[in-house]
Amino acid sequence: MTSIDGAQIKKIVVACDAGMGSSVLLTSQLKKSLKKYAVVVEHSAVNHIPADADLVLCQQQLVTRARTTVPDKVVLGFQMFLGDPVFAKVEKAIKDGGNLGD
Amino acid sequence: MTTTDTVEQESRGERLRASVQRFGGHLAGMVMPNIGAFIAWGLITALFIPSGWIPNATLNELVDPMKLYLLPLLIGYTGGRLVHGQRGAVAGAVATIGIVVGADIPMFLGAMIIGPLAAFLVKLFDKGVMHRVRSGFEMLVENFSLGIIAGAMAILGRLVIGPVVRTLTTGLGNGVQWLIDQHLLPIASVLIEPAKVLFLNNAINHGVLSPIGVAHASTDGKAIEFLMEPNPGPGFGILLACLMFGPRLMRASVPGAMVIQFLGGIHEIYFPYVLAKPRLILAAILGGAAGVLTFMLTDAGLTAPPSPGSIFAILAVTPKGGFVGVILGIVIAAAVSFAASAVLLGFGRGERQSLEDPQVEATRA
Repeated sequence: MTSIDGAQIKKIVVACDAGMGSSVLLTSQLKKSLKKYAVVVEHSAVNHIPADADLVLCQQQLVTRARTTVPDKVVLGFQMFLGDPVFAKVEKAIKDGGNLGD
Repeated sequence: MTTTDTVEQESRGERLRASVQRFGGHLAGMVMPNIGAFIAWGLITALFIPSGWIPNATLNELVDPMKLYLLPLLIGYTGGRLVHGQRGAVAGAVATIGIVVGADIPMFLGAMIIGPLAAFLVKLFDKGVMHRVRSGFEMLVENFSLGIIAGAMAILGRLVIGPVVRTLTTGLGNGVQWLIDQHLLPIASVLIEPAKVLFLNNAINHGVLSPIGVAHASTDGKAIEFLMEPNPGPGFGILLACLMFGPRLMRASVPGAMVIQFLGGIHEIYFPYVLAKPRLILAAILGGAAGVLTFMLTDAGLTAPPSPGSIFAILAVTPKGGFVGVILGIVIAAAVSFAASAVLLGFGRGERQSLEDPQVEATRA
């Protein structure tokens, strides 16, 4: 169980199987919604998540793989690609501070 | 889920799925970065082969070398890079030339094996030996170790691995051809559609179907294998049914999802809807099978793998005169999966159960 304070998140990585499709889509959405905060959003393949990520987001089905790639990072899974409550939770934690844990 | 037994079982299932996904991810990871090259080859093929849009004998000469040499070499190179960076990539490419020379079919499968294998041997050597090399001799040892290992793998590939893989690839292709001849190919949807929603879509398509398809396309100018997984019809039908009959909470996000799935080609977007209502998998299977059956009966195929599986990408690699079958297959697949989903969703009557399950899942995560 790892956790991170929303205020300390500098880099979010969205991971998907190939790192080319759905993660890119979500990255551009998150970039828009997190524009006002000093947070970098990147996409990657779930087998190659960069080590400097503070928070990893991926579909629930891929969470186990993401955890094996980066065991010491906070990995949050989401169900839906559009309008999942997890994205709002992340934005709120970054805005107001507060703990995000898996 | 109260007893520890079931929890344990679940986590074992989870681990198994994760490792299958991981293996598939490696296969897809060798092909997907090179899709641009596949598209270049597919477009050149569609345009300039004798039965193409603007036949041209000079430009047609590009088709075979691209398919037989360029594409397998890129896959072997990328496979090597995944294992051991730039040195692995070079070793992978050199080893791959050993299996493509003399082959009359595109050796994708072989490249996926020998590329990473050669890179792995270089990695072993680097781990075991490089730290013992006297300073000043690093470059000499690095270059010659890579050259000798990769060269040996190329020889091994030409003499042993190549012939074995050729038999395997031909066998797989013949197996698919047999299924087509026996009109059994639609049964493949029983495997393809569930695997897709478990996020094995890239593994199935780029790891299995594309390599067989390229071999098939090189003899016939088109391959039905390229249509089996990327067909956006089944997913579109499911989304349409969710829009009309799905849980109210779900509906708001569906129109955006439809655009992203059908036009943008990112199929992943509909998987959660199926995972939230697992019985919809039946609709995906029926839609997929109906699509494959239509493609089979109309003798439809594509010249190159469409990636992403967008309607635009599919139409761009549809051969001249092949539009009717391709479009018909997509429409029929969408119609069948829509009808089946509508029935499975009880035409909206079971809507009260709403989206509760995934919500709970999401907060728990």
